[in-house]
Amino acid sequence: MKLFSLALKNLTRHRLRSLLTVMGVAAGMFLYSSVQTMQESLSGATEMNADDTTLVVYRENRFCPATSRLPEHYLETIKRIPGVSEVLPIQIVVNNCGASLDVIAFRGVPPESLKQYNSDIKIESGSYEQFMKRSDAALIGKHLAQKRGLSTGDKFEAVGVNVYVAGIISSDAPQDENVAYVHLPFLQQASKIGLGIVTQFNVKVDSVNQLDSVAGKIDETFASDQQPTTTRPEKAFFAETAKQMIELIGFTRWLGLGAVLAVLGLVANAVLLIVRGRVKETAILQTLGYSRLAIANIVMLEGVLLGIIGGAVGVLGALGFFHFKAFTIGNEGLTLALSPSPTVLLSGISVSLALGLLASLYPAWKATSRPLVQSLCH
Amino acid sequence: MSFISIRSVTKSFNKGKTTITPLEDLSLDVAKGEFLALMGPSGSGKTTLLNLVAGIDSPTHGELNIDSRNIAGLSRAELTRWRAKHVGYIFQLYHLVPILSAYENVELPLLLGKLSKADRKSKIMAALDLVGLTDRAHHRPSELSGGQEQRVAIARAIVHDPGLLVADEPTGDLDRESADSILALLSQLTREHNKTIVMVTHDPKAAASAHRTLHLEKGQLIEQNLQS
Repeated sequence: MKLFSLALKNLTRHRLRSLLTVMGVAAGMFLYSSVQTMQESLSGATEMNADDTTLVVYRENRFCPATSRLPEHYLETIKRIPGVSEVLPIQIVVNNCGASLDVIAFRGVPPESLKQYNSDIKIESGSYEQFMKRSDAALIGKHLAQKRGLSTGDKFEAVGVNVYVAGIISSDAPQDENVAYVHLPFLQQASKIGLGIVTQFNVKVDSVNQLDSVAGKIDETFASDQQPTTTRPEKAFFAETAKQMIELIGFTRWLGLGAVLAVLGLVANAVLLIVRGRVKETAILQTLGYSRLAIANIVMLEGVLLGIIGGAVGVLGALGFFHFKAFTIGNEGLTLALSPSPTVLLSGISVSLALGLLASLYPAWKATSRPLVQSLCH
Repeated sequence: MSFISIRSVTKSFNKGKTTITPLEDLSLDVAKGEFLALMGPSGSGKTTLLNLVAGIDSPTHGELNIDSRNIAGLSRAELTRWRAKHVGYIFQLYHLVPILSAYENVELPLLLGKLSKADRKSKIMAALDLVGLTDRAHHRPSELSGGQEQRVAIARAIVHDPGLLVADEPTGDLDRESADSILALLSQLTREHNKTIVMVTHDPKAAASAHRTLHLEKGQLIEQNLQS
């Protein structure tokens, strides 16, 4: 703690240099955290875990929600298939089927089933009762509301559908953050698709082990029907439709790595300059009895402080940026909200700390390796 | 028994292909509480001798006992620990840390120990009181005169109560008045606090403040003067 205070004061000697280094680290860590946020959001939307028991039934060979038209009466047939615990018919209407950062997706669901089926949904403002009361009511995902500046009580129009905002919702599922849940019959009529037609069925099965067998049975049941189906786990569909998006986001890993290396070089250079500028003073401290370890600790603390301060600014900046800008990537009607998470914060701060430490190892060695008499004559 | 006992000490080092021997077969005794001045032209070996006595450097040959401990064979780390306890170093250009106040500069040697903040404070204030600078405790070096800076450096050298003080031209960068007051302070430290002081100087007036002056030339002791 005593040396920490000394290290902190040392950084104020060349304020501009320290500030520029901190800004450089912040920029690098901003990029790193942005990449991590994208990676995290993507893996949240595509990686299966033991709790994922949801299947999605689409019309076979569908490209976009607009091309998946299934009769609503399939609902009763699917419900009777062994292993199925719940079924939710959904009509989806989107403004853009291609990959886009500006996707608005309406999800029409039977209003009475939404709460029971999707218990992850939390009402941030407004109420579920309000949603039930009006046929044109909508529960708007937090990201969508933020991006469009919507709040409870507002009216909202997109893709020719006019809705009343009955509430703002949040959810652990990144796909729910950018949708507007509306009444199914209302959307069927407003979108002119017509009553009795839905885009998909979301099917919950009794256990994760039954996902494949139930999916197979559903597709088998409707194989010779007029509208054959393709049934897959929800996240597998997302992973397939968003292949290009995943590749693109996968590429950003290299950007993240580049940012980390840039930060490493920047801090190492700054700490090396600090050490070179203080050869004599380091020798004075050694003369006073400071061991090589104590000197190395001071140097490394300075590196760690530069890393941590810059890292905190960059990571918090990135999280704030993603929080306030509420970015959502959409593809083929599926949306992925890029949401900041505590994991990214923790990883960003840990990486900053590790980089600060790693970057100061060589300068710390350099500061202590020179013979004392030689340094005193410097 | 001598506080400092130097026996047949030689120091040599290589510079390129040449071997340089700034000190050769030098023997010397310094009593406890003695104020010794080292004089001589540049390259005579006085700073080398000072560095050996301060434990900053090690002799190539010979014995170097300080307060009954042979420091000639100590490793670099052992010497550092020894210096932290037993030596106070005063530099010509003070070498205070510019971003720290006088108080914090004096505190530097104490940060290595396990003293509480209150204990550190009492020692620092006692040292600053001794050099007459309690009212400048929270001033930074840039806000002090040269003489005051050297007083802070002396407070830093004595705050951990070492038996030995080494001073490398402590008045070399000061005006006459400030130099006299620093020399008076060093004399006070030997007289009232029984510190042993070894001082390198070019200034005959500074040397006159010491109990004894040694003249070195080409790494060898050539003359001793005892002051009355």
